Amino acid sequence: MASYKARLARDVDDWIAAGLVPAENRQAILDRVSDGRRIDASAALAVIGALLLGAAAIAFVAANWGAIPRFPRFGLILGLFLAVAGGAAWAAKARRPLLTNTLLGVAALVYAAAIGLTGQIFDIAGDPQRALRSAGLAAGLLALAGRSSAAGVVALALLGFGEFAGEFDGGTSRWLIFAAPVGMALAWLWTSKPLAHASSLALIVGLFAVMAIYERWGATSLLAGAAVLAGLAALARQLSERATAQIHLAWFVWGALLFYGLAGFDEMQGGYLIAHRAGWLVISAGAVALGMHERQGMVTAAGVVSMIAAVCAILFDLGLGLMTAAGLFAVCALIALVAGGLTRRRAKA
Amino acid sequence: MIRALPIRIIAAAAILVLLLVGVVVSENRARAAGREVLLPMEAVDPRNLLTGHYVALQLTQQLGPGQACPKQTWGYKEGGWLGLKPADGHHRFVAVAQTRQAALSGGADVAVRGGVYCSRMAFGDTQTDAVTLDIGVDRFHADQDEALAIEKALRARRPGDASPPALVVVSVGQDGRARLKGLVVGGKRTDLTWW
Repeated sequence: MASYKARLARDVDDWIAAGLVPAENRQAILDRVSDGRRIDASAALAVIGALLLGAAAIAFVAANWGAIPRFPRFGLILGLFLAVAGGAAWAAKARRPLLTNTLLGVAALVYAAAIGLTGQIFDIAGDPQRALRSAGLAAGLLALAGRSSAAGVVALALLGFGEFAGEFDGGTSRWLIFAAPVGMALAWLWTSKPLAHASSLALIVGLFAVMAIYERWGATSLLAGAAVLAGLAALARQLSERATAQIHLAWFVWGALLFYGLAGFDEMQGGYLIAHRAGWLVISAGAVALGMHERQGMVTAAGVVSMIAAVCAILFDLGLGLMTAAGLFAVCALIALVAGGLTRRRAKA
Repeated sequence: MIRALPIRIIAAAAILVLLLVGVVVSENRARAAGREVLLPMEAVDPRNLLTGHYVALQLTQQLGPGQACPKQTWGYKEGGWLGLKPADGHHRFVAVAQTRQAALSGGADVAVRGGVYCSRMAFGDTQTDAVTLDIGVDRFHADQDEALAIEKALRARRPGDASPPALVVVSVGQDGRARLKGLVVGGKRTDLTWW
């Protein structure tokens, strides 16, 4: 795949040929764009070697784990964590942000393992949910301290696992729904795409976890969740000049369509069911149109997948009758045609 | 890159290490300060590949003569209290209740947080009601050789044997939580130590 600089060089040559840009500006324009980061073979081999060495060390310790007394075992775990965190601090001092970020992500994972292993070493009985949430908070602290999006992603993942550990149905405490907006804010501040992905997904999962508490509300809570995500998608669209906002937009559209679709399987009947299916087709078509307009492939994909699901659901419900299904498709097609025609007329005007 | 980043990372790591050490020290303090209670146990599947070698602890004991099964099953997470009283060198289940006071009111001298469920079990040649206590202590981690030895000793005995009972040693703290201290199997006591 050609790099941005190579594509730009091609475009600049075209613009020069078309007389849009003076030829003497060619080099100056290209100099404004840096070459993408390239990892040479020696660096790649060094990374692979380091990973294999780490795996060998882990396997060696695991093979002798039972023979190591409890206290040294605990020291080993803490030592490993401190070594990785210390490595991150050294990398930060040496102004190597990528290495700092990676090592802090690893440190967050090592600390999560340390919590579990400490419980095992000293036979401290504990609640898995509490352990995962504690590990998530620790990862969050590392993320904030080291400005690490990798540790932030680990924090959200651990809090997400914590949401489902233990008694999900019986529990009433939910953390992810509060952690996700913090992750979104950090993704915004740090312009971090991985954190934007993780926090968007966390918000959807968090909303789902909150809905589980109000399960008795059935379709209403799912529709409310879909509306919340649709609102957030609209907000993200307003801010879509930022890359992270585009990521949020794509995830929220996926989430809203998912919740809307699921709502239709919660004992809806008669007119409500028909209205839901019709709405599903219209909203899916809207998502396809939005995705194409905004040049957001993920949004278009969400719309297409949702439309396929809607069509499958309608075919599945053929208790409605073939004539009703045909009428439903015809009405939706009509709406799409009229909406397309109106949009084009407005664009021409 | 922020200039204070290395210091912030070191500070966060130090806080996290201190927290983990603090948990270990406070748990060990609470374990040492609590009241020691011995509870009978039975053999169950002793190991799990994912979490390392451990002896799974099932705190099952025969109900005394005239003692009825609790009317409802309680889990540890439901936040109940168990009343225990000493008899025959260990502690026996007396009652389950929602509060510590209610658990102690039936003649028990120790109240521990937990739940209980009842089942019918063979003790020697007779079928009888038995209770299994759920006090949040369900495993004893040991190295492979130790876990296998404990498992062998546990499997060698049957419920109702005249041989010395297998016992779990727990420490019941002021907060009512049971913390594992060790096991007594085949008359041999294995305690948790730093080493």
